[in-house]
Amino acid sequence: MAEGIDPLELMPVSRMARPLRALLRGWAGVVLGFLYLPIAFMVLFSFGESRTPGLPFRGPTLHWYQEMLSNGVLMEAVWTSIQLAAVATTLSTLIGTMAAFPLVRSGFRSAGAARIVFTLPIMLPGALIGIALLIFFRRALGVDLSFWTVVMGHIVFTMPFVVLIVSARLQGFDRNLEWAAADLGASPARAMRHVVLPLIAPAIVAGALISVTLSIDEFVITFFTVGPQSTLPTYIYTQIKFGVTPEVNAVATVLLLGTVLLLGLAWAAAGQARRLSRIFGRRRARERIG
Amino acid sequence: MSVPAIELVDATKRYGTSMALDRVSLRIERGEFFCLLGPSGCGKTTTLNLIGGFIPLTSGELRIEGQRVNDMPPHKRNVNTVFQNYALFPHMTVEENVAFGLRMARLGSGETATRVDEYLALVGLEAFHDRLPAQLSGGQQQRVALARALARRPAVLLLDEPLGALDLKLRKQMQVELARIHRQVGTTFVFVTHDQEEALSMATRIAVMSAGRVVQSGTPRDIYYHPVDRFVADFIGESNFLEGVAVRDGARSYVRLGGGSTVDAPADAPPGSVTLMVRPESVSVGPAPATNGEASLSGRVIHVAFIGNHTRVTVRTPAGDIVALRPHSEGSASSALDELLDQEVCAWWSPRDSTIVAHGSTEKIDERLV
Repeated sequence: MAEGIDPLELMPVSRMARPLRALLRGWAGVVLGFLYLPIAFMVLFSFGESRTPGLPFRGPTLHWYQEMLSNGVLMEAVWTSIQLAAVATTLSTLIGTMAAFPLVRSGFRSAGAARIVFTLPIMLPGALIGIALLIFFRRALGVDLSFWTVVMGHIVFTMPFVVLIVSARLQGFDRNLEWAAADLGASPARAMRHVVLPLIAPAIVAGALISVTLSIDEFVITFFTVGPQSTLPTYIYTQIKFGVTPEVNAVATVLLLGTVLLLGLAWAAAGQARRLSRIFGRRRARERIG
Repeated sequence: MSVPAIELVDATKRYGTSMALDRVSLRIERGEFFCLLGPSGCGKTTTLNLIGGFIPLTSGELRIEGQRVNDMPPHKRNVNTVFQNYALFPHMTVEENVAFGLRMARLGSGETATRVDEYLALVGLEAFHDRLPAQLSGGQQQRVALARALARRPAVLLLDEPLGALDLKLRKQMQVELARIHRQVGTTFVFVTHDQEEALSMATRIAVMSAGRVVQSGTPRDIYYHPVDRFVADFIGESNFLEGVAVRDGARSYVRLGGGSTVDAPADAPPGSVTLMVRPESVSVGPAPATNGEASLSGRVIHVAFIGNHTRVTVRTPAGDIVALRPHSEGSASSALDELLDQEVCAWWSPRDSTIVAHGSTEKIDERLV
């Protein structure tokens, strides 16, 4: 039985069960509406003709998307965000993947504690990290805020995700495969390249994609650590001071689309990792029986 | 004598204070099908891992084809392993798995393809080049692992309980296959197992291990009929043990058993306190021995069990219980044997079929493994 639900579980236990269930279904709809209606309106208004977004809706038009593309300052902010995401993701994927190996494999006594320390920034408030970094850069290091300070700010909170995802994958990795590679004449470096990396690649890709989406969206830490340039989120923030224009709606819609796309890819990559680990799981099960 | 394929001299492996391998010396000749046999934790897999280079020796020496390889990393050793769980690379096809070791040896692509074909044919998997390991059955994965290890044409092939994960029928089939492949390629095989039947049926020589030491090594026949001690006798097949005192009286020697009875002993029995061993299939049960000169004990049949191809008869004698295994010949239907229950009978065997064994280690063998 795949994902089927036992019909018995759906059997009403009291007369009130059926109407209650309908009520709950309605409530779930209200909650979902609360979550997604604002986003739906934002998308809708980005296609509206009116300069001040609102109902009744007139359109649709792609006018604001054209405006967006011809807005030099906005495009520069987008370009900065893309560069920032690319650099921060590359570095945090590299560092995070490398950190995952000793965290999982070294077997040193405080590995569990070390993993918590490594992943704690996920749980810390962004404002706290932002202020701490700002003080650190300006007062402790005495450097000017720039593209590189914001890169470092982004690494602080994207790297933990890479560590989490890659170490989960490494945890389920069958060390026998590395022995087999060595047995068949592969030096440690070649075993890493031909056996270990291809098998943990889905997790690395998933970690990288999540880093990209986090970095593109991040406002708070960027706000505290960025230099004179603006990124997409900080640009939107400054625009909103002058009132919400449909142009901002258009930008946000594009951002939404991009984020959903990347998260979809990350999910697919993680699924690939799960599929492979299921194969390992079966193998381990056989080993236990045998 | 020629240079042996593998030579262990006082090989010792210690983990902290526990001794995994205690001064083991072994000599495995080229072309042998050598079996390391013993219960779990006896050091047989440790021995294999030492040869493969996956764990370092604490002391002693390991030579492969005469060359000392104590400190050589596994990827430089001329041995290959079939792992217990096969350890096939799940992201590679069957063909890529078999080619992996050849690629690592930087063999040309033409030669690699020829070898892959050759060894997949050897294990009967010609039609499976493009499958992924997950798409194969356990038996097929096992064959891929075998082809992958053999394709490098190593001096020695190491097999770590490779049949353990297969069901009984497949296991029997693979035993026959392995013996054929060994004859065909002529490579030295070192095979680790806890299954005595597997060892007896395939090996040219067996080393029985216990508690980190080699207790006895020899041909399957040697070990089965002349075990050095009770541990070996117990581990390999079923045995009857009779405690007693051996007495030499001129040319004849006999053993005085508990309960006052005496039986003839094998000619080489040393005088003194001994344990006499006789295999159940060597024991006959009936009203009286058919010929003179047999060792015989009388007693009462307390149990008769039909076990398919044989019937197992247990006779309680003053010297202890004796188990006899009787094949079903045409004349003796099992129903006739059933009538033996509670009868007073004689159990006898030829003294030549009995052996004096050392008391040996009395440690209990893990029952799961027997």
